[in-house]
Amino acid sequence: MTQREEDPRFGAPTRREVLKTGAAAGVSVAVAGGLSVGMTQVAHAASDTIRGYGTTTVQLKDWSLFNESTGLTMEFTPTDANMGNFMRDVTVNEVGDTHDLFFTDGGTQYKLGPEGFYLVIDENHPELALWERTSDNYKRGYITQTPDGTQYGVPMVNNADSFGYWPEAIGVNPNGLEEVSWQKLFENEEAKNRASIDRNWLLTMPEVAFYMQVYGKAEIVDNANLTPEEAKAVGDWAIERKQAGQFRTFHTGFEEQVQLLGNKEVDIINCWEPATKNVNAEAGADVVRYAYTVEGYFKWGIGAYIPTQAAERDNLNNIYKALNYFLDGEYRAYQAIERGYGGPNLDLGVKYAEEVGWPADQVAAVDAVQKKVDTKYEKPFWENLNPDHQEAMEEEWQRFLNA
Amino acid sequence: MANALVSGGVRSWYTRAASGRWTVPAFIIVWTVVVIVPLFLLLLYSFLETKGFKVVWDPSFHTWDRFFETGRWTVAMRTLRIAIGMTVIELVLAFPFALWLAKGCRSQGLKAILLTLLTIPFFLDLSSRTIIWRALLGSNGVVNTVLMELGITSEPVEWLIFTEFSVFFGLAAPYFATMVFPIFLVATLIDDEYLDASRDLGANPLQTLFLVIVPLCLPGVIAGVVFTMVPMMGEWVVPQLMGGGKVNMIGRSTEDALSTLNYPTAASLSAFVLAILVALLAALTLLTRRRGGVAGLFEALKL
Repeated sequence: MTQREEDPRFGAPTRREVLKTGAAAGVSVAVAGGLSVGMTQVAHAASDTIRGYGTTTVQLKDWSLFNESTGLTMEFTPTDANMGNFMRDVTVNEVGDTHDLFFTDGGTQYKLGPEGFYLVIDENHPELALWERTSDNYKRGYITQTPDGTQYGVPMVNNADSFGYWPEAIGVNPNGLEEVSWQKLFENEEAKNRASIDRNWLLTMPEVAFYMQVYGKAEIVDNANLTPEEAKAVGDWAIERKQAGQFRTFHTGFEEQVQLLGNKEVDIINCWEPATKNVNAEAGADVVRYAYTVEGYFKWGIGAYIPTQAAERDNLNNIYKALNYFLDGEYRAYQAIERGYGGPNLDLGVKYAEEVGWPADQVAAVDAVQKKVDTKYEKPFWENLNPDHQEAMEEEWQRFLNA
Repeated sequence: MANALVSGGVRSWYTRAASGRWTVPAFIIVWTVVVIVPLFLLLLYSFLETKGFKVVWDPSFHTWDRFFETGRWTVAMRTLRIAIGMTVIELVLAFPFALWLAKGCRSQGLKAILLTLLTIPFFLDLSSRTIIWRALLGSNGVVNTVLMELGITSEPVEWLIFTEFSVFFGLAAPYFATMVFPIFLVATLIDDEYLDASRDLGANPLQTLFLVIVPLCLPGVIAGVVFTMVPMMGEWVVPQLMGGGKVNMIGRSTEDALSTLNYPTAASLSAFVLAILVALLAALTLLTRRRGGVAGLFEALKL
């Protein structure tokens, strides 16, 4: 039996099947508030503009760097990290008609690759000059390939997620080096009604399940791939914590993370590391911290994927030139400094920082990013964003939200 | 000559269409294709289920079972409660204001300024307007700071934000104009001679209000209720930003279902609300039966 036959993820609809049900699906989507991308997409001709679509944090804060280095112009449509919405936009709303590159968490290629929504990466493309020197640790595996080894993605950034916190409010060392338990987020009496968790079931439910697994609160085999029974147990426990008044709010986006933490509306929040960097940029250096945890992390990586429609637009050379830029030093150095993210070819990032004359502490900070990520990876982690029983997990999370 | 032929052809077509010979069948066909068939498909979808992002053709009550087990039905009921409650509040606030604007405000300049101000919500992004309230009403916000500075409270009042109260509060401003405009437009059509006649016949101001003005304003009230309540039922920006995700409404819940490409659940949510709206419409029709039904109320506009 092949992986494709074994894996229920491959039971997903094909592009043709999706389109066949498009009329009825369209009704449902329209009832829910309209298509987010719209049905007026038209294919655009090849140009020096690269149109990107995906998770907002892969962006450079100043895209002019990209423009100057590549001679291309980046037009970026940012999204949150909701993989379901992303897959809907790719499959139903056909966002590939108008965009040249997708940027999203690893895992979508399991479904969208074999179903014909992504192009296979041409590893020998002349514009992808840095591919050869990129470590297999980055370019192979869960983020960029399918189980049969087909290469659909190019690695962009990676990290291990936990939570941000105000040290004095939850009673831990403000130097940020102390390992903090997830208990502070989920069961801490001091943080009662002072904690916020992400409303997205795909991100938060595995975290709750992980905590329950580690402390024996439920029998859970894989916290990122819950069975319906396990999902119910997680839902029950989360409802218990909700009714105990643990959570002040359930946030949705990056901006909300920054605002909740920055306004001190909450003391602890499961968020993206860049949120703590944004708060510190306004409130002062290291006033909030991003946790090294006692138990483990959500490991993730974002890849770049080429929509199938791009093959018909004659701008593949430009697309590969952009992909090569993301493997190079300038992008790596800025992602390290601005977001705290690691990624492939960090040595080129350090080299870039030195060559353009960044201060020694910033060069060191670039170098330190990978050590930080590697330190986190020594702990237990999970990385699956494509669970088998998505409907059951989402429904149990709804039960929690509605309780 | 050619122009005359074209003109004659158009006139002939218009005459035939206006006679109702083609209009009614055409309307029925278009209405069936555009509205009835999609609604039927919506209902049909709610009896299917998804497995691994795929809608499975195996009709059952599974989706409806889960709809009730996961508490999604409570989302629909909460949405209805908030939408109806807020619509009543808007009506109470908007009716006297619209009436004053139409009949009481003598300054044309002031009237123009107020009408312009009412259009502002249509130009500004709702999330941008709503997010400001979080900074004002939060634990460390301006309101709590003032309350504590004045010694009114020793600790931040936490229910000001992330509660159902704050959702009601956040919905007030965005939906005020949608209630005011229809009532204002109908009120301006009321001939002042009717009001004079009412007074001459001995009615006091309250009697004139409830026996003359309110009945004549009913078309505007109904339009205001529709334009306010229906979009409010799909609202999800305010519930998220002001309710902090704790006040789950149908728009967001449907979006959640769609994020897993779970169209049957989204369809069941929509069908459930649709059924409730149909029930409300039936109730409205029954209540207005003595006045010739809902359509009969609009006869007042022929004044």
